[in-house]
Amino acid sequence: MLELRINGFGGQGSVTLAHLLAQAALENGEQGQALPFFGVERRGAPVRAAVRISPTTIHAHSQCELPDYLVVMSEKLTQAAVSEGINDIGTVIVNAPQTVNVSKYPTWQVDADTIAREAGLFSADGPTINIPLFGAVCRVLNIPQNIMEQTILNKWPGHNGERNLGAAGKAYNEVRICAPQL
Amino acid sequence: MKTAQVIMDTGTHAAALAAKYARVDVIPGYPITPQTSIMEAIASMVENGELNARFIPVEGEHSVLAAAVAAAAAGARVFTATSANGLLYMHEVLHMASGGRLPVVMCNVNRGVFAPWTLWADHQDSFAQRDTGWIQYHCSSNQEVFNTILQAFRVAEQINIPVMVNFDGFAISHCLMPLTLPPQEDIDLFLPPHEPEWRLDPSNPSSFSNVTMAAEYASFRGMLSDDIMASIPLVKQAAQEYKDITGMWDGDTIDTYRLEDAEVVAFAVNSMAAELRLSVDILREQGIKAGLLRPRLYLPFPTEDIIRALPKNAQIMVLDRNLNFGHPGGILASELKSALFGRRNDITVKNRVIGIGGIDLTRRFMAAEIRAMMDE
Repeated sequence: MLELRINGFGGQGSVTLAHLLAQAALENGEQGQALPFFGVERRGAPVRAAVRISPTTIHAHSQCELPDYLVVMSEKLTQAAVSEGINDIGTVIVNAPQTVNVSKYPTWQVDADTIAREAGLFSADGPTINIPLFGAVCRVLNIPQNIMEQTILNKWPGHNGERNLGAAGKAYNEVRICAPQL
Repeated sequence: MKTAQVIMDTGTHAAALAAKYARVDVIPGYPITPQTSIMEAIASMVENGELNARFIPVEGEHSVLAAAVAAAAAGARVFTATSANGLLYMHEVLHMASGGRLPVVMCNVNRGVFAPWTLWADHQDSFAQRDTGWIQYHCSSNQEVFNTILQAFRVAEQINIPVMVNFDGFAISHCLMPLTLPPQEDIDLFLPPHEPEWRLDPSNPSSFSNVTMAAEYASFRGMLSDDIMASIPLVKQAAQEYKDITGMWDGDTIDTYRLEDAEVVAFAVNSMAAELRLSVDILREQGIKAGLLRPRLYLPFPTEDIIRALPKNAQIMVLDRNLNFGHPGGILASELKSALFGRRNDITVKNRVIGIGGIDLTRRFMAAEIRAMMDE
């Protein structure tokens, strides 16, 4: 069973990202679970969501305290998210404009803000970063690009799906592993 | 032949879909916090014509259940849902539904009760309704919520007792998981249309629930108590026939995991009992012969099935997500001790209260709790 935790701010679309990842798991022939933590539901407050992917039935119903993958929606949250807990052999995926390093953990970086802006994806809270992050996380988890695309089209049939595909595909191809910090 | 369909959905939507598959006639609802999105989902199904039923919005949970009682007395198949303080506000009418022998099925999303305010998983709300004469299931997965609502209608309508189907707030209600939807034809076979023995009918006027003298009253109350006990074989039959038709099984009155040779048995309900399967695996890796016994039925308490299932000389670790005010520990432990007293003197019962107000219960934490309890 793979466990992910998404750390973000309210309004960044963490819950939708968790749902998309769980749906992609099912699309990919596995079991998926998205379990957001609902707090006081304020925009801008720190939020988190658990995602699990497994070939067999998922029985866990807690938040992911020691995730295999930590998805950080905003670079500013990186240290706080790591301090909250991560598996010793865990991997970090950060939305950041350039290379970031998180001591000892392999770290992937994607500029989701710029990709969303360039694709014209905005919500009331700014660029819709969860779409590019979905593409990036799928790439890191080795979920095939066509599965990623099908998941988006199932959720948003038509024009919105097409626009989202472009941004998610760009992130899928642009997400980079950062050089380890010694 | 149509095959089952697998979708991704939340626990609340699994409950709403089960009501649709049960072809319910009437759904009274008060769709405001602490209510979940069950009512919202059902209201849109009625609105878009997916569900041919009457949705009755009312001004509070007390009236929700009053409307449910009236609709059931008129012969309708009735479903509703509530949570936490909404359930507490229904308390008086819960007695009216069971005493009136009306087969209403209601979901309760388990959350902590006010005061102070909270929104997260806790089992005080449903256990506090123990003495209202309702049959109570507690479910540990989204799929089990769907399956159990359909089984609940079967049992309720066979024995004319209302059934409460409980599951955790957030951990199940807002958790997106795969959900298998059997073909509607299969569900129709399992749950035929409701044919009540009597109904209120304006063209043939009669009265219902009049004042009774002591002897009549005692007789009605005694019958209710006896019939609640007599529902156990019906619960088992419903689970078995549901499995024969759909292939799905969540246990009947109880559900067990790695229990046969267990020396240490975790005992809990709802989503924490699902997570406890993983704690059992952790303990087994540490060389501890651990197992799980989950009462799926809380009321009637499945005493005989528990007594049969428990391995000899086992230590039972009861993990309660509730408080038994006036007693040390939790309510489940008290029920279990009462059931075992004088029957299984080889069994040791230990108890801890954990996860109150939705404190996260991870597999590692609960495995560590059980280890610590072994040394007590």
